[in-house]
Amino acid sequence: MLKINNLVVSYGLEPVIKNVDIHVPEGKIIALLGANGAGKSTILKAISGLVKPVSGEILFHDEDISKRSPDKIIRLGISQVPEGREVFPGLTVEENLKMGLYTNFKKGVYEERVEQIYSFFPRLAERKTQLSGTMSGGEQQMLVIGRGLMSNPKLLMLDEPSLGLAPIIVDDIFDKIQEINESGTTVLLIEQNATLALSISDYAYVLNIGSVVLHGLSEDIQSDQSLMSSYLGGAGGAD
Amino acid sequence: MKTKITDLLKGKFIYLIFGVLAVLPIIGLPSYQFYMIERGMQNALVVLSLVILLGYTGQLSLGHAGLVAVGAYSYGIMCTILGLPPVVALIISPVLTAIVGVILGFPSFKLKGPFLVVITIAFGEIVRILVLNAVDITGGPYGMKGYPVLFSDTAMHYFMLILVFLATFGANRLSNSYIGLAFKAIREDEVAAELMGVNVRKFKLLSFVISAFLAGLSGVLFANLTGYLNPDSFASDTSAAYLLMVVIGGMTSPVGAVLSALLVTALPELLRFLQDWRMIIYGLILFIYVRFYQVINIESLKKLFKRR
Repeated sequence: MLKINNLVVSYGLEPVIKNVDIHVPEGKIIALLGANGAGKSTILKAISGLVKPVSGEILFHDEDISKRSPDKIIRLGISQVPEGREVFPGLTVEENLKMGLYTNFKKGVYEERVEQIYSFFPRLAERKTQLSGTMSGGEQQMLVIGRGLMSNPKLLMLDEPSLGLAPIIVDDIFDKIQEINESGTTVLLIEQNATLALSISDYAYVLNIGSVVLHGLSEDIQSDQSLMSSYLGGAGGAD
Repeated sequence: MKTKITDLLKGKFIYLIFGVLAVLPIIGLPSYQFYMIERGMQNALVVLSLVILLGYTGQLSLGHAGLVAVGAYSYGIMCTILGLPPVVALIISPVLTAIVGVILGFPSFKLKGPFLVVITIAFGEIVRILVLNAVDITGGPYGMKGYPVLFSDTAMHYFMLILVFLATFGANRLSNSYIGLAFKAIREDEVAAELMGVNVRKFKLLSFVISAFLAGLSGVLFANLTGYLNPDSFASDTSAAYLLMVVIGGMTSPVGAVLSALLVTALPELLRFLQDWRMIIYGLILFIYVRFYQVINIESLKKLFKRR
């Protein structure tokens, strides 16, 4: 579904992503792991069109999207849930969800989608008219995921959904991510919490300073203690 | 629970203000007081334009006096030098100001960051100095007079009332529209807005152009009210005064903007009995207002009357 070939991205002169190849097959959960500054978020930004790569291709259904603008990419069915729960704090829950459908707004479609999101995250329905900035971290994370789902994407990209959340809420969120995947949406998941990400993903790539240093089936990586400790901060996972 | 009176007035606060304004000529105020209210209404259009630009879209302009000057002087020039009928000048001037808005906004929104502030400050000064030096066309420091006006006093009052009313309703509608949602998303988080597929540059430019149009319209009204144009009326402190009005009006509230424009314009005149102490007390009142903003916010006053 999504194929990244030889991707190079740089901020200024220094390349931060060096010849990265990633393959995201349809219907799977693919995890992208690595420490801070490994370049995980930059890859997502390149896919969603926020930064333009220096070279390489990003193929979505065999079409190169690396030079397209973000609004065209979202129309193709790629949706990004940004890092750090970037809700629109001064907008209500409803308005935030409307934003998720911005490129393709039709009232009928909106009402149908928003009901689906509310039944998926009942907490959001309770808080429809609340300003999203005043909600708890977990609720904001639900909202950004819900907002990402509004456009009914084929590929949902999540950037560190566990960041700064209590473990019990993280478990909730990850259950939801699995549910989303089971309903047919392909997921590209960025995480620092390797153990957690490996437990729900099918295949994983490990990034280190801008390059893929390791990739394989998630269960294989998880069972190999030496790999876990050398790249992912030990069997306990990096938090 | 709210009382019955506020229930009756729900969503009608705007009608209350415009109702009072509508009966003013019948009451027959002394001409100077009446003139200050006219000026308040004219300022209200600029403040509404800033509600859209600053309140909705989060873009700061410190040169709106320059845009008002463009509207006012192009009306004057079209009526005198070009000899166009006032009605034609009335229509063309705001459009011309909107085009100036495109020229200003296009390069500033190409860059991320606070470049609009810098460009608008510079623009305000450029316009003022241009007007000051183009003596043959604008009269320079001697001012410009002798151009025809659209209406006489009372007719002008109702004409402005209609325009301010339309602009207020338009701004309200815009706020709840899809374009308004994009504006607000940009204000809240540009990157997230872009991720949602909002063309950030295009919408910022649209917001600035709408804002410039309203400022230009206000300029035409200014020219009609005073019958005399002078570059001093469009100095940078005027831009700051507009900013003050939009902040006091609650930034995002069109009704608040109108009320704030009327009050802040009239305040220095109401305080005239204080003589030498006038401006000190004026500053003090504004200071106290801003300090207790949360408590006596016009926006919160408006909520009292709000529908839903």
